[in-house]
Amino acid sequence: MGRGRGPLAVGLVLAILGLLVVAQLRSQAQGQGLTQLSVQDLTELVANVTARNNQLRDEIRSLQAQQESLARAVQRGDTSSSQVRSDLTHILAWSGSLGVTGTGVRVTVNGQLPGPAVGELINELRNAGAEAIAVNGTRIVPGVVVTGDPGHLMIAGRPLSEPLELLAVGQQETLAGSLSRAGGLIAQFTAQFPTVEVKVLPQDLVVVPPTDRSIAPVLGRPRL
Amino acid sequence: MTAVAGRIRAIPTWQLTLGLALLALGFLVAAQMAAEGPRVRYTSQERTPLVETVQDLQAQQAQLKQQLLDARAAIQNLEAAGEGGAAVTKQLNDELQAARIAAGLVAMTGPGLVIQLSDSTLPVPADGNAQDYLVSGADVLTVVDQLWAAGAEGVSINGERVTVSTAIVDIGGSVVVNGAYVAAPYQISAIGPSTMFDTLTHQQGFVDFVRARSQTFGIGVSYATPDQVDLPAYAGSMNLRYGVATPSASPSSPPATAPASGMP
Repeated sequence: MGRGRGPLAVGLVLAILGLLVVAQLRSQAQGQGLTQLSVQDLTELVANVTARNNQLRDEIRSLQAQQESLARAVQRGDTSSSQVRSDLTHILAWSGSLGVTGTGVRVTVNGQLPGPAVGELINELRNAGAEAIAVNGTRIVPGVVVTGDPGHLMIAGRPLSEPLELLAVGQQETLAGSLSRAGGLIAQFTAQFPTVEVKVLPQDLVVVPPTDRSIAPVLGRPRL
Repeated sequence: MTAVAGRIRAIPTWQLTLGLALLALGFLVAAQMAAEGPRVRYTSQERTPLVETVQDLQAQQAQLKQQLLDARAAIQNLEAAGEGGAAVTKQLNDELQAARIAAGLVAMTGPGLVIQLSDSTLPVPADGNAQDYLVSGADVLTVVDQLWAAGAEGVSINGERVTVSTAIVDIGGSVVVNGAYVAAPYQISAIGPSTMFDTLTHQQGFVDFVRARSQTFGIGVSYATPDQVDLPAYAGSMNLRYGVATPSASPSSPPATAPASGMP
């Protein structure tokens, strides 16, 4: 081996060593986490990750269809403005800049909950597939959270008075079931906050308004 | 002895370094194999296939997320290609890109901070609950909400972008974000103003959280303020299956104090 190749070989081996160390540490951390879970938890995790993977597959199929349609439009020389407009409307509605109407649930809270408990209700509705959520007419978007002690709740810097009403668009049975199931959030609240009553009513038509705040980043820049 | 020492001295430095590196590699492999032993012993026959299934599903998920991001990028390129010089379409495309950025569909970088939550290292008392000494989904949700309240404009958890539809779920001792399993320690990255950390640490909700979880159970709460915080793009579905967009002339309501419009 020539003089120049020696350091090169050393560098290569050290690089491989470094990669292996990082890979081992990462897999070890994740693997250890998983092996600490019970069989029941692992089964629930499998169901959760499978559901997400199926959602991703559906989304990819839909995007591929959209891609083919767009490619044909471009070949024909179309400006594709209708497709762009449709995409824009979809993203604005999903992200909260446009209102959303559909089936869903109305959740009423009689009594005083702390802010984090309202956050848990919102999180549970999201987990059940809610497509848009509002609390007392304020659309929940990134940056809008309910904070404060019972009786002194704030949302997006504004006072939030009782009774609380949450509206969520989504599949009625899934949304209602996730909150009302045995051991679910309502059951937990009943034990934790005995004076608070939470009711969930399926609705054929729920109107969730758009947000009134700008969700565009000011400090963050796209990383291309 | 002199001859042996002379022969050692004659070995080039790079060969010695290479030898040491290979030795370290050997130790690493041996240590890893040794560490596998106890884990396998504690793993029940029922659990092992489930753990492997989760790992397989996670690997599939990583591929699916990449496919989804690729498909979105391809569509974006086609939409830009279809501009055809029409000013209205160009404007629409600009609006679309701005909407994608605001929705979290584009990776972002900016100033901010990273909060790390780690499991407690305190011994669990005989009458204690071991779960209290692990970071829970509720802990992660609390910190995320507190960061939003402190002015964050973008957040991610262990590489999962937090968006309008993100749920943070607790499954036993593990946390699932956007339907993806994430393992402790949890790094919650947030882009926001330089005052964000001060604001955060003065918020009652965060103070209560630290008191309840860190001071009582030893949950690790640490932070870093790197020059730039990188957030990934959201790689998940944007379903609107049960709802449709309702374009409106004016945005919603300030009236957070009264219940929303009545529904049938």
